[in-house]
Amino acid sequence: MTNRILAGLLFGTMLSAPVMAQDNMERLQNMQRTDATFTFIDQDGERAEALNDILQYINLPDGFEISLYAVVPDARSMSMAPQGTVLFAGTRKDKVWSIVDRDRNRVADEVKDFAPSVTFDIPNGPCFSPDGFLYIAERNRVLVFPAAEFFFESPDIAVGEVVPQGELIPVDEESFNHSARVCDIGPDGKLYISLGQPYNVQPVEKLELYDEIGIGGIIRMNTDGSDREVFTRGVRNSVGQDFNPATGELWWTDNQVDGMGDDIPPGELNRQTAAGQHFGFPWTNARVEIPAYKDVPRPEGVEFIEPQLELTAHAADLGMRFYHDSSFPERYHGGIFWAQHGSWNRTTPIGARVMFTALDEEGNAVGAEVFADGWLNEDTGEYRGRPMDIEFLPDGSMLVSDDFAGAIWRIAYNPAPAE
Amino acid sequence: MKLAPMIALGGLVLAGGFSVTASGPAAAGDPAEGRKIANMCRTCHGLDGYAQVPIAPHIGGEPQEYLEAQLMAYKTGQREHEMMSVVTASLTAQQISDVAAWYASHVAVAILPEGVSAEAAPQACVSCHGADGISQLLDAPNLAGETNIYIDTQLKAFRRGQRRHDVMNEVTENLSDAEIRALANWYAAITLQIESPPE
Repeated sequence: MTNRILAGLLFGTMLSAPVMAQDNMERLQNMQRTDATFTFIDQDGERAEALNDILQYINLPDGFEISLYAVVPDARSMSMAPQGTVLFAGTRKDKVWSIVDRDRNRVADEVKDFAPSVTFDIPNGPCFSPDGFLYIAERNRVLVFPAAEFFFESPDIAVGEVVPQGELIPVDEESFNHSARVCDIGPDGKLYISLGQPYNVQPVEKLELYDEIGIGGIIRMNTDGSDREVFTRGVRNSVGQDFNPATGELWWTDNQVDGMGDDIPPGELNRQTAAGQHFGFPWTNARVEIPAYKDVPRPEGVEFIEPQLELTAHAADLGMRFYHDSSFPERYHGGIFWAQHGSWNRTTPIGARVMFTALDEEGNAVGAEVFADGWLNEDTGEYRGRPMDIEFLPDGSMLVSDDFAGAIWRIAYNPAPAE
Repeated sequence: MKLAPMIALGGLVLAGGFSVTASGPAAAGDPAEGRKIANMCRTCHGLDGYAQVPIAPHIGGEPQEYLEAQLMAYKTGQREHEMMSVVTASLTAQQISDVAAWYASHVAVAILPEGVSAEAAPQACVSCHGADGISQLLDAPNLAGETNIYIDTQLKAFRRGQRRHDVMNEVTENLSDAEIRALANWYAAITLQIESPPE
């Protein structure tokens, strides 16, 4: 019996398999109803209790306090709606969560899946335009939901395709790892999307294709998907970006090569001052040369931009945000907070914390400092939680997403009154 | 009763699909040694093999032969993954046997969602992966409780021929994206429990 005959037999029975994942995109685009229903996440009970128990381990600067904002399974990149009434959090699975604090007591009271009528595929990156369009960058598609802040209460919500399925990257380049996209609307009104390259170090034969498409880079396009171009080159896998509100420059984090040792190459925080700049990968990670590319000619006439900060190797610097509110003390104003997700194969685990750097008068980063830690149990090397992204509430307090614990934490400045 | 002949066929697949393992490590694995190596695995797969991140599969209670074959495939470059290729490069064949023995020594228990009948399981999959996602043969992984995107990604890789397996390449050849997601959803909805090795 050959495998071909076997497969034939298998197919004979396959027709009876239920097709549950009907894609509702067409119905929604025609403003038709579907039979989709919401999944609600319990905000009390055992899960919340277990999460609250983690709080005692978290270390913060004087005057800051941390609390549990919401129970959100797999919470990844976050985007606060422009009116500040709903927070959206992506996942590396098939859900986007809407998170609402109706009574404004700084604890979410309703968490449910957003647009359950849509079959999502790694919808890691939500981002809002100032006029209220919610973009969601998936593994290989970009969707837009007009006025999502007001229509999220319906399971059937108007949706458009900025980049149709299979056109963000070639389908042959799809992977699960390095496929958590982040997006942002720039000061130019364009949509910026990071495209991680799927390898540890991409093979030489992929260089030309990736360079052309922007895999291992950041691309930008108009919000209707037109005029796509590669904005950033030489990236390994960036999962955090934000525009400096003071200058309009794009800053982003990058993750470095594995397998070169515990202490190299360093993680990166990068400042981009012009379109098309090249940051060195796969020839370099910061100043460390990647052995596989030692003898591969570098792109001609291209200067590699060095990172602003070289960060602890393998700590996995992910989501980042400029602080442009006022409730934190002044030394934090205009600086950058970012999440270190924590290492996965370093001999001694490191990371799982929130970092900060101030900027100097020239707009350069002055140096990384630990802002919040304690999510890593240093005695056992086990994670209690893994911070992934940073966002801010309208009151200027910080939200930290945690896809390991399944939580969104809130850090507020609330100093004890002077005696 | 469709299942009986399918299981018999599964046995033939097993015999034909073993080339990877046959060329792999021959020595018996030592679960106690493997437990130490599992410190390299636990951030993603858990010390007991219950995955801690969506991109990693559950591996506790997996057939030892399947685990060894996959680790050797990563090590030899036959299967590629950004992280697993790095991890396996540093492991000896004996260490691979040991760590496979550690995870295989656990017991995977699958529980179908309430009100769901095993008869509704995708018929293309059940003879090898079980209606509840527990492997029926040494060459097939458990699928119970895996993240749907993990299964979806693997099925698409089989469909494109980027991941090689004689049976899986053919089974997936004509599946649509929606059909793939439906199969993935079936197994993702199953609750998986991983129990410690029996004393």
